[in-house]
Amino acid sequence: MYKTGATIIKELLLVLRDRAGMLVLFLMPALLVLVITLVQENVMKTMGEKSTRILLVDKEQQSIGQTVEKRLLESGLVEIVKKLNGKKVEEKEAVEAVIDGDFQLCIIIPKGITKSVKAKARQVVMKSLSVDDTPAGKEIQRHDIAVYFDPTVLGGFRSAILNSLKLVIVGIEIDEKMKVLSELLPEHINKTIKKEMGSFVPDNLIKDIPGIQLDFKSDPLLKVKENKASRDAFEKTPTSVQQNVPAWALFGIFFIVVPMAGGLIKERHDQTLLRLLTMPVSYITLITGKVIAYVFVCLIQFGLILLIGKFLLPLLGSPMLEMGSDPIAVIIIAISAILAAAGYGILLGTVARTYEQASMFGPISIVIAAALGGIMVPVYAMPIIMQEISVLSPLAWGLDAFLDIFVRGGNITTVLPEVFMLIFFFIITMLTSWVYFFRRTRNGF
Amino acid sequence: MGQPESLKMPITETEEKYDESIKEKALIVKDLIKIYKGSSDPALSGLDISVNHGEIFGLLGPNGAGKTTAISIMSTLLRPTSGSVIICGIDAVKQPNRIKKLIGLVPQDIALYANLTVRENLRYFGRICGLKGQVLKDRIAECLEMVGLEKKADQLIFKFSGGMKRRANLAAGILHKPRILFLDEPTVGIDAQSRNMILEKLSMLKETGTTMIYTTHYMSEAEQLCTSVAIIDEGHIITEGSPQQLINRPPGHTGLKDLFLALTGKRLRD
Repeated sequence: MYKTGATIIKELLLVLRDRAGMLVLFLMPALLVLVITLVQENVMKTMGEKSTRILLVDKEQQSIGQTVEKRLLESGLVEIVKKLNGKKVEEKEAVEAVIDGDFQLCIIIPKGITKSVKAKARQVVMKSLSVDDTPAGKEIQRHDIAVYFDPTVLGGFRSAILNSLKLVIVGIEIDEKMKVLSELLPEHINKTIKKEMGSFVPDNLIKDIPGIQLDFKSDPLLKVKENKASRDAFEKTPTSVQQNVPAWALFGIFFIVVPMAGGLIKERHDQTLLRLLTMPVSYITLITGKVIAYVFVCLIQFGLILLIGKFLLPLLGSPMLEMGSDPIAVIIIAISAILAAAGYGILLGTVARTYEQASMFGPISIVIAAALGGIMVPVYAMPIIMQEISVLSPLAWGLDAFLDIFVRGGNITTVLPEVFMLIFFFIITMLTSWVYFFRRTRNGF
Repeated sequence: MGQPESLKMPITETEEKYDESIKEKALIVKDLIKIYKGSSDPALSGLDISVNHGEIFGLLGPNGAGKTTAISIMSTLLRPTSGSVIICGIDAVKQPNRIKKLIGLVPQDIALYANLTVRENLRYFGRICGLKGQVLKDRIAECLEMVGLEKKADQLIFKFSGGMKRRANLAAGILHKPRILFLDEPTVGIDAQSRNMILEKLSMLKETGTTMIYTTHYMSEAEQLCTSVAIIDEGHIITEGSPQQLINRPPGHTGLKDLFLALTGKRLRD
């Protein structure tokens, strides 16, 4: 243990003094988490995963515009902006702002829409009540609500906005028609009865139709209830933070293969390893010290990335990282992933003959494993064949385990298969490097 | 030869009970053969060496003669194809872990961590050899003083000159007071002052009873330092004896260099 401790201290000193290695271990994953999360936040806005700021130009300021605004806000889909630079926005300005990409869309409520909707509702109701003996009357001009979309807005979000608007319009139509109906129906009934029964009937037999409920939407007949598939009471919407923080933290963890493999190759080339092998210490002790040192470094790195998700990203407008309810499981997953990465680093450092080989192959293989593992694009969004291949990536095991805890409300039992896979990977890589090392050294350094 | 002083003062776990073995020779190599995998020619073909305690034994030879292979086998880094290596009475092939407690190596390259200070390097290698606490501190101080680096102890190795690196490399090899020190061209590529200092310190180390196996291409060094010398070529010894005996051997030579070229030829060995 004393010799392992000495190796840990030596490795930590070497890591601290390796500026390029420190950049790879700390700065790179921190920047990746920040940049990718913030970029994807914006992508998610255009996909409708987040409430989007839209411009609303109400040219008449009457009931239709107010109703549209109220119901869109109630949908939670949008944040409504009606002023730019403190001034009420006009249609031309609003369209320009959308063209410039400052807003994803603008909605224009035309002048005269309230009057025309009311008139049209009256005409439609009168037509339906008069059956076939009422004249059609003068054609009423229709005023449509206009929507201008930024061309970059994705189809799903366009449909969601348009469907919401259509629902709002249907609601307004029903309201208006019911208002007219409740006004015209008693008169129509009186007229019909009087027509049938003549002068025996008083002028206002029925003043109102009892029991007509105008607000139909307050008690809908059917509702769609959205449920999230999670294992317990904890559930969290998979925001870009929930996906990116564990994903890029894992990516950073696996990048230790570069300094780790590089350190091993350097030790071999400058003959420090040769000197050590003539000393009373086993190769396993040396490697164990190295692995423990990197576990320690990577845990700090992992903690730093989580802190960025928890405190820094919210300051920049992203949601806060939620880490589930099982912190022990999070630490166990992190340690397993670090061990898997360390095992791969040792293997690479043992097999590669030069630093150039390791520094080329290491990062490329990590990027490929990350892409396969759903770090860049979620696995479910990949073609079936790629989804089948992705199960081979240790980064996929790690990410799946983290998402189990962070998003799906899992616990240590849920993530045990992934943890075992990561540890198994560590054992296999260590054994392979051990065998390879002794086969190589037996035949000369 | 009497029992060396360094053997009487155990300071580390390397200093276990080898009372029986220290009565014997420091190093006995018998019929050592090494054939590398994939090679038809043996790197060593029946090498025999016998070194007394406290001797500095020079192993001279052209490139590819088998010096590094021999040192690698003697220092437990390589397994021979056949033959035996006995160090202080212990079979180095069968019990390499016991041997590791007795030997020290000063490799040809600067086998130190460039991003650590010389003190940190010595502390690490000392701990790996089992040195602890005040004993470790004292040994580091002694070794730094011995190689003249006490004032540069907290400077990173990569900032050292070639000569300073060589001296630090030597310090790391002798830190744990090995009974046998293997030195593989320890003065290659350094200034005259550093070389002179290293040779002086090795002579001092000899006085304390440390046995040394020394390879070099500098014949003058071997003449000055070694108590006995063996010239090796094509994996076996072609002559051995004290430098003076070899030089005087008929028809007589102007020095070891002259003898060396006479025995190994002037053909380039690439």
